[in-house]
Amino acid sequence: MRVLPRPRTSAVASTASGMGHLYSRWTPYLFLLPYLLAFLTFRLGPSLFGLGMSFTRWSIVGSPEWIGTANYELMRIDPRLDAALKNTAFFTGLTVPLLVVLSLALAIFLNQPHKGRALGRVAAFTPYVLMSTVVGVLWTWILEKDFGLLNAYLNKLGIGGLPWLVSQDVALYGIILTTVWWTVGYGMVLFLAGLQDIPAELYEAARIDGAGPLHLLRHITLPLLAPTTFVVLMLTLINSFQVFDQVYVMTSGGPGTSTLTLVQYIYTTAFQNLRMGYGAAVATLLFGILIVFALIQAYLYRRGIRGVAS
Amino acid sequence: MKKMARKLSVMLVLLALLLPAAASAQGDVVTLEFWGGWTGPDGDIMDQLVQQWNAEHPNIQITLTRQQWSPLFDAFVVASASNEAPDILAMHPQELAQFIVLDLLTPLDDLIAGSEILKPENYLESAWNPNVYEGTLYAIPLDLHMHGLYYNLDLFEQAGIENPPATGAELIEIGKQLTVDANGNHPDDEGFDPNNVVQYAINMHSNHHAFFQWWALYRQLGGELISEDGTECAMDIDKAAQAWQFLQDLVYTHHIAPQGQTDYARDFLSGRTAMLIDGPWQMPAFEAAEAETGFHWASAKYPQVFEENYAVWGSGHNLTLPSKVADPEKRDEALQFIEWLAANSTAWARAGQLPAYREVMESEEFRTMYGREAFIEMMPYEVFLPGIPAYNEIFASNAPTPMMVMAQSIMLEQADPATAAQTACDEITFILQMQ
Repeated sequence: MRVLPRPRTSAVASTASGMGHLYSRWTPYLFLLPYLLAFLTFRLGPSLFGLGMSFTRWSIVGSPEWIGTANYELMRIDPRLDAALKNTAFFTGLTVPLLVVLSLALAIFLNQPHKGRALGRVAAFTPYVLMSTVVGVLWTWILEKDFGLLNAYLNKLGIGGLPWLVSQDVALYGIILTTVWWTVGYGMVLFLAGLQDIPAELYEAARIDGAGPLHLLRHITLPLLAPTTFVVLMLTLINSFQVFDQVYVMTSGGPGTSTLTLVQYIYTTAFQNLRMGYGAAVATLLFGILIVFALIQAYLYRRGIRGVAS
Repeated sequence: MKKMARKLSVMLVLLALLLPAAASAQGDVVTLEFWGGWTGPDGDIMDQLVQQWNAEHPNIQITLTRQQWSPLFDAFVVASASNEAPDILAMHPQELAQFIVLDLLTPLDDLIAGSEILKPENYLESAWNPNVYEGTLYAIPLDLHMHGLYYNLDLFEQAGIENPPATGAELIEIGKQLTVDANGNHPDDEGFDPNNVVQYAINMHSNHHAFFQWWALYRQLGGELISEDGTECAMDIDKAAQAWQFLQDLVYTHHIAPQGQTDYARDFLSGRTAMLIDGPWQMPAFEAAEAETGFHWASAKYPQVFEENYAVWGSGHNLTLPSKVADPEKRDEALQFIEWLAANSTAWARAGQLPAYREVMESEEFRTMYGREAFIEMMPYEVFLPGIPAYNEIFASNAPTPMMVMAQSIMLEQADPATAAQTACDEITFILQMQ
């Protein structure tokens, strides 16, 4: 424990007595106000506006026409929405575990004191800094069927190339691969921070008791990383459900409907086909899905904390 | 000292306040916002044209904003909602209707009544008519473009072929001679390996150009897509399937075109395909390759596959005057620019565009530009996709629209053409009835 120099008590006392009249029960709210205003103006306000919009037919120009729940009824028979939901669920189901496991593995590997550690961290994080369009264009080239980089290697290895982005059966895997490469560095940085919070004494003590590396991972690293894992899980889950940019650049939802995602469908419906109402209804559905996941996670997180505390 | 500093700062503030007033007193400079979706070399040429106009017309200054078409239209609609649309907006004729029904474009008939230049007789009919919606003119054509057939002169010479294919049968016959596998075999030879082809005869689109080609062939058969009242799909499934079958067979039966191709121009330039179906916008790139590497190319008309009618997919750029603008008084100046652009569109032709203004189109300078002749001949035969309010929902290339899904399932997944066409037709009717 480091000991901080104690502030002179007289100075503290004089400040407190001088400013005392300014403190009231509203003070905390004043500190919250700037963020609260931004939150109301740019988040909650538009969200409620969107919810209202989902009960209308509106093309942005002109005034919206109230049509009740017609948009929600249309959602039940819309085959494109089915495809978008299925693809988004599949994408999330595969991307989230991959990202959590890979970023954790990378973080543990790059937390070891070996040469080239700094370079490795930079290399793993750099893709995350790139713009989505850059990533999309780059990977369209890497995944190209006939002259792409990846297929060239696969052919060299004798495995044979895949029609990555031009086949309904594999296009989504191409997008998943791209996304994992692009965002794995973000989770890694969070895990690295978590790893460095674990006191070294615990490892030392365990080693003295004869624990091997697997025991250390199983009984010290993973349990103490649980809060970080929750954060990474939550963030990748939300981001995966909202996947859009790289898909739009790489395949625009094709071939066929094989890579159409919810957010692309919302964008196309609302801004390209100018059906703001129906787009808002689909957005509300996405919001509902995310809220369910957020609640489940909040519940698990709280239970987890209690588990640790008891 | 302090006093002087204060005096000075007051003077400076006054000066700053007066300056803009002084500038505007110099003469009324009208500024026009001009938006276009040209992001390639054609955009650079449009930039130069606008700069030339600005230099020649100090009182009318134009700002050209370039951005890809789809986000450009998004921005246009949002700007229109707050009465801040650009003064001039470029688009394609088939895209007009969706904005006309929202009342975002200005009818032009009365505005151009006195113009000597902006008259139907000064333009090619096939360019002018698609800009008329329900009897009212909404845009002035700038240029046309359509599919044509490019061919590699060296590869043709090597194979001993003199003329490019003019019909579907010729395309398949010549195509087999131009397709070679790693062992030097052609598609009809014994031992030909379709999985190891080193040179294909012709490209095959896996993007929206696949259904553009289908549209040409379907129109050659005389097919219609949308019912006259615009409420349902009027696709003739037999004809639709017949047109698709021809394209699908080029890849899967005759093996003369590659499957899942994405970079057509590159493959043509590198000799991977001996022919290329694409638009006139490719010509500047081929001209550059000719100058750099001695690439020998020529162009021909899109083949007539079905005898009923000759038709080729096409579109064009046009110029509209948005209605939701801050100052409608600027329309006269905007029309002056559009007139000037028509008369000066020879420069635009260098970008591979085909000017729609007769005087330029018929000029010696344009007609003798290398490779243009075949395209000029096709101008009267180009068929536009139906310009209906639901255009985007049915035809957009950046979303899984019915046409994209139909094209990709047939050309990439070898789906049965009749089944895929029927699915697309049902979806089109569904979309039209939601309007």
